[in-house]
This record gives sequence, structure tokens and C-alpha cells, in this order.
Amino acid sequence: MQKTRFPAVVSTFIVSYAFWILLTWSFSAQELAAGAVVSFLVALFSARFFIHERSFWLFNPLRLLIALFYWLGVFMVELFKANWDMAKRCFGGCKKVNPGIVKVPVDLKSDYAQAALANSITLTPGTITMDIAEEDGQTYYYIHWIDVQKPSGKEAGDAIKGTLEKWLRRVWE
Amino acid sequence: MLRIIIDVLIVVGAFFALAGTIGVMKMPDTFSRMQASTCITTMGVIGVCLGALLYAIFIMGSPSTAVKVGVIAALVLTTNPVGAHAIAKGAYQAGIRPEKRMETDDYRRDFDE
Repeated sequence: MQKTRFPAVVSTFIVSYAFWILLTWSFSAQELAAGAVVSFLVALFSARFFIHERSFWLFNPLRLLIALFYWLGVFMVELFKANWDMAKRCFGGCKKVNPGIVKVPVDLKSDYAQAALANSITLTPGTITMDIAEEDGQTYYYIHWIDVQKPSGKEAGDAIKGTLEKWLRRVWE
Repeated sequence: MLRIIIDVLIVVGAFFALAGTIGVMKMPDTFSRMQASTCITTMGVIGVCLGALLYAIFIMGSPSTAVKVGVIAALVLTTNPVGAHAIAKGAYQAGIRPEKRMETDDYRRDFDE
């Protein structure tokens, strides 16, 4: 468990205040003041869970742009393709399934990038990340795959991750 | 014209939700059922929320509703995988296995006896 650092509190405060404004969407002075107090308290208690490494990585505009392009462009295309595939499987009577758990190497180092990649994989229909393990400095994901085409290893990783890993590396590393 | 686009988006969302529901009913084992349910929380939510977003902006003309719909979509999409991952791992460690043998099962090879 980390100690709470001041820069981490500031950046958590900015994020939670932005969320407050989005949720209330009223700009009277009372609302804004109450939001500031609540966000500061929340930031004080949760900064050590929210920020692990550099405090202000979130506010680099270039990274934000790349992240936005990743979530709204690259990821949406992958999501739609996987959804279409899954819908065909479901309407086809659920007979064409070939499930299994494969072990896939991942080269990302940052905690945030690993979490984002695991969440992206889970969000895509057809693959669920079950566990993350580290062996000899190399990170491995255990992924449940509904249609196993290749045995564990790098080829299965390329088939599952596609270009997602490359884009996440641009955002976080 | 705008109304047609909104209706099409909502129907697309409902279509994927229907596909996911059929999958949850008919898939052969626990993990495959979870895979099918992801369909509902991704394309289902995105389609319906996109339709609601357009409706809130152009027909209701209320930016606060539009922002709330966007926040709902973002929160569902970021919190859902955490739960799915925890349920899958918990089910596996509680000893639930598919009836048919899996194609490959490296998790059992590395962590079970």
C-alpha cells in the first residue's frame, strides 16, 4: 500500500470534480462549491488507489488524443467485428463453439496499460481475461477463448490482441 | 430522417441484446454463457445509448440529459469487464468445469495439482 502524495491528490481531485460537473451539469455557485468539497474529500481518501506511478500522465494532451482515438476508433471496430461474430454464433444454435483457456505473453510494463489491455480483451465478446501471472520477468495473461484456433503462445496472442497492444503502448509508454 | 437514424441505432442495440440473451440461454457451459452475455453489455449498451444521445441532443434539446447518457455508457463499459473477470476467475477456482473437454486448458496445467 502506497502513502498518499500531494500531486496524486491534486490529479484525483481534478478527475472527480470533472465527474461531478458532468453528473450535475448546473453551474450555480452553490453546486460548484459543494462539488469542490466533496471531490477534495474523495481525492484525499482514494488518491493512493487511483494513482500508482506518475501523477499527471492523464493530463498530457497528446496522450489523451491518442487514448480518445483508441477507444472511439480502433477499439470500436474490433468490438463490432467480435460482436457480429458472436451474434452469428448465437443465432446459429450455439453449436459452433470450441472453448479453451490459452496462455498469452504480453509485453506491456505499466500497470495502467496492463489493466486497460485486460479490460479491452474482456470487453470483446469471445475472450475473457481470467488471470495475470508473471514468470521470469515476462507477463502472461490466461484468456478464455470461445473459439480456439491456435495453441498457446505468440500466435494466439496476435489473433486475440490484434493491434490493441500497439496502441496502448503509445498511450502509456 | 433523424428519427430514422435514432430508431435504427436503438434497433441495432436491441438486436445484439437479443443475440446475447439467446446465447445465455443456449450456450453449453458456464464460461461460454459469460462470453455471450458480453454481447449485451457492449453493442447493446452502445447502440441504445448512442440513440438516446442523439435523441437528447436534437429532439429534446437538453444537454444535461445528453451528458448523463454519455456518462452512463462510459461507466458501464469501464466497470463491466472488472466484474466479468472476477466472476470467471471465481467460477474456475470454485471448481466449475465444462462438461465437454476444453480444447486447451493451460490454467489447469499451471495452477491445479
